[in-house]
Amino acid sequence: MSDRGSRIPGPRLIPRRLKLADPGRRPIGFALGVVLLAGFGLLALAPIVFDLPAPDEMDLLARLTGPSAAHPFGTDHLGRDVLARLIGAVPVSLGAALAAMAAILAISLPWGVVAGLAGGRVDAVMMRLADIIMAFPMLVLALAVIGFMGASLEASILGVAAAWWPSNARLVRALVLSASHRDFVRAAHLAGASRIRVVLRHVLPQVLPSLAVIISLETASVLLALSSLSFLGIGAQPPTPEWGAMLNEARPFFAQAPHMLIVPGLAVTLAVLAFNLVGEGMRSLLDKREPYRW
Amino acid sequence: MLRYILVRLATAIPTLLGMSLVAFLIVALAPGDPVMMELRAMGIVPEPEDIAALRAEFGLDKALLQRYADWLWRALHFEFGTSVATGRPVMAEIALHLPATLALAASALIGAIAISLTLGSLAAVAGRYTGAGLRGLTILLVSVPSFWLALLLIYIFVLRLGWARLVGDGSLTDLVLPAITLSLAAGAALGRMVYERIRAEMSEDHVRLAIAKGLGPLQILTGHIAPRIAGPLATAWANAFGGLLGGAVIVESIFGWPGLGQLILQAIAQRDFPVIQAYLVLMGLIFFATSLAADLAVILSDPQLRRRLGDE
Amino acid sequence: MVDALQVSDLTVAVPGAPPLLDRLGFRIRPGERVGLVGASGCGKSLTAAALTGLLRPPLGIIGGVIRIDGQEVHDAAPKAWRQLRGRGIFQIFQSPGTALTPARRIRAQLAEAAGIAGSTQRRAVAHALEAVALDAHVADCFPYQLSGGMKQRVLIAMALILRPRILIADEPTTGLDVLTERDILAALGTMADETGAALLFISHDLRAVAEVANRTLVMAHGTVVEDAPIADLARSSAPAARQLAEAARALQTAC
Repeated sequence: MSDRGSRIPGPRLIPRRLKLADPGRRPIGFALGVVLLAGFGLLALAPIVFDLPAPDEMDLLARLTGPSAAHPFGTDHLGRDVLARLIGAVPVSLGAALAAMAAILAISLPWGVVAGLAGGRVDAVMMRLADIIMAFPMLVLALAVIGFMGASLEASILGVAAAWWPSNARLVRALVLSASHRDFVRAAHLAGASRIRVVLRHVLPQVLPSLAVIISLETASVLLALSSLSFLGIGAQPPTPEWGAMLNEARPFFAQAPHMLIVPGLAVTLAVLAFNLVGEGMRSLLDKREPYRW
Repeated sequence: MLRYILVRLATAIPTLLGMSLVAFLIVALAPGDPVMMELRAMGIVPEPEDIAALRAEFGLDKALLQRYADWLWRALHFEFGTSVATGRPVMAEIALHLPATLALAASALIGAIAISLTLGSLAAVAGRYTGAGLRGLTILLVSVPSFWLALLLIYIFVLRLGWARLVGDGSLTDLVLPAITLSLAAGAALGRMVYERIRAEMSEDHVRLAIAKGLGPLQILTGHIAPRIAGPLATAWANAFGGLLGGAVIVESIFGWPGLGQLILQAIAQRDFPVIQAYLVLMGLIFFATSLAADLAVILSDPQLRRRLGDE
Repeated sequence: MVDALQVSDLTVAVPGAPPLLDRLGFRIRPGERVGLVGASGCGKSLTAAALTGLLRPPLGIIGGVIRIDGQEVHDAAPKAWRQLRGRGIFQIFQSPGTALTPARRIRAQLAEAAGIAGSTQRRAVAHALEAVALDAHVADCFPYQLSGGMKQRVLIAMALILRPRILIADEPTTGLDVLTERDILAALGTMADETGAALLFISHDLRAVAEVANRTLVMAHGTVVEDAPIADLARSSAPAARQLAEAARALQTAC
């Protein structure tokens, strides 16, 4: 029997006939999420293209001014341009979330794949270890890690990664298990394909779409957690611009300067919303089972 | 049934031991001299010259396993040492503030359950446009950070309308705003899950029969779908409770609610290791207990499992 | 007298794709028992789904007329369907194993039917179970405690309580042994006798159909190719009908 392996069709990410008339099927949310993400990407590049004031540039004579021509979103309590700080925070906030996500995947992907494929005692031990970490509430564990390492952006990234990876590993394992029990994977095995080949050519392609959904949704959750930690003062440290930290710095002043209350919070919301929309959008594109109409 | 519960508790012990090991070893993660860190974890801030002497006095020259055993023994008696910051016993500090946090988390959970059941079932049975709108609202609520929502609510209800106040002495009326803040996000997340579960059940054969009988949506939801989703929902509620225990820290610090949140933030700022360690252990214990309760609820909601375990 | 069921030119498809049911037409008079046979995949279950308004989206009725008791239903609103289902038309599905709600006792599920039919719950449930030759204690069981044949008889009991004007039985004996099949066919007969319901018996097994009905429809490739008494099938002009008749006779003489 040829070892080239038969061409087994992978799952379609975009179904062949997408019924666009039905609002339930129109991928509005997904498109909106992609647009938002692209927007943030462009914003991150804006300082290179446009001549914006530096996020750290203080002008103590112009503290807490409202929106104006010179400062479209006003200035903060140290006279720094809020718009510049918002844009400066994009690489910090999003970068931290992506870094944490990368750390999470670096642990959870091998963990879940090995546990799912190995089965038996190896699986039991690995999952028990993950369960032990999961037995702590996630934010509580992150707080403890930060507490012992000392407050900093790096500590918050590590804390979140340490607390978030086990649930991710469980999801990966579940995906691997359901993928490897499908008949065509067993058929490939019987046809003589090596285990690595089975994983790479048959299991992973099945797992990838669902994994993409999980990654997107979890990045949203991680971003929310990291900006909350920075808001509490134990993540990004001043003068680093970060949306949560900016809200925290504005707290004593928001009676006098409400504009500082709105914009950073809106930025976090939109960024988290983007990842959630993309994830949910992909999920509804993948899920084709329609319920009965009652 | 009793036998099952006892067996379940027995298998929980390795997990509990593992958790205690994590809490013990996490001190080792702290950058710096491990002996210094462990002395800090016991509530002692030593001068560099005294470290060697203190090392012997507090048994830090013993083997790691021995130190863990000693720590575990003390922890089982709820002796977590004295706080570096206040000098008072850690357990006393925590016991003072724990009820407030539990009250906040519990009321937020109840609010979240109410919101999620309403949102989720409405979205599942609504027409195409209303359903899509409700799902959009859910995604939006889940994306709003709790700290921003809290600040917005304070701006509206405390500063502008004067309906609530920020000086937290733990009275019940002060609980309303913090609980609402937490339950909105958790309610939306749970609502998403309720919606998905109901939709999944709606594709099942027994729902098809219920429809063929001529039953209306409400009857089908309560009589045929609800019993099936009760188990997974219980698990989700337990997980949500864990998330609320953590999220309470943020909300407590903004609203001045006198719970553990302020305690742990101070402890982090002052590197008060005994408090941090005790916080981790106790929160873990509470969350573990709620997860166990949810697992039992899952078993009880399936008549087949109930009968099989009841016969034992 | 108005037909219990009248179907003309019924076409069902996923919009944009070739039709799965192609200009289907037949009628059933009140109280009449009719079979619907055909090879696997010819569209029998799809017909049943269309008749009860249970086509799964994106499938839809794109042409034709369905009248139940003279009332047009092919484009009825969900609320109208809710009134009609149960008392106007009811269906027993192919796999009884998953048809009953696992978490509730039989009594509760039958009582729900009694509520729809407007009869006293306790009496209706007890009588129905007796009529299908099930023990009274079955009412207190959960579905997982019953065998496939017993569950199917519970569904027939449900139909008895509902007293629909038309009952569709979709492959009720497929996958069950011959002895159980006999019990179920007897129960079906009792149900039809007692309620006077019209019966549409769907199966790929002509012998089972012959026990219950004397006239049958034969389907092939999504359309009705023959509508005749079972005895006349061997002389039919449609090849599908002749093949089925021959196969049934061959099996019968073999036993």
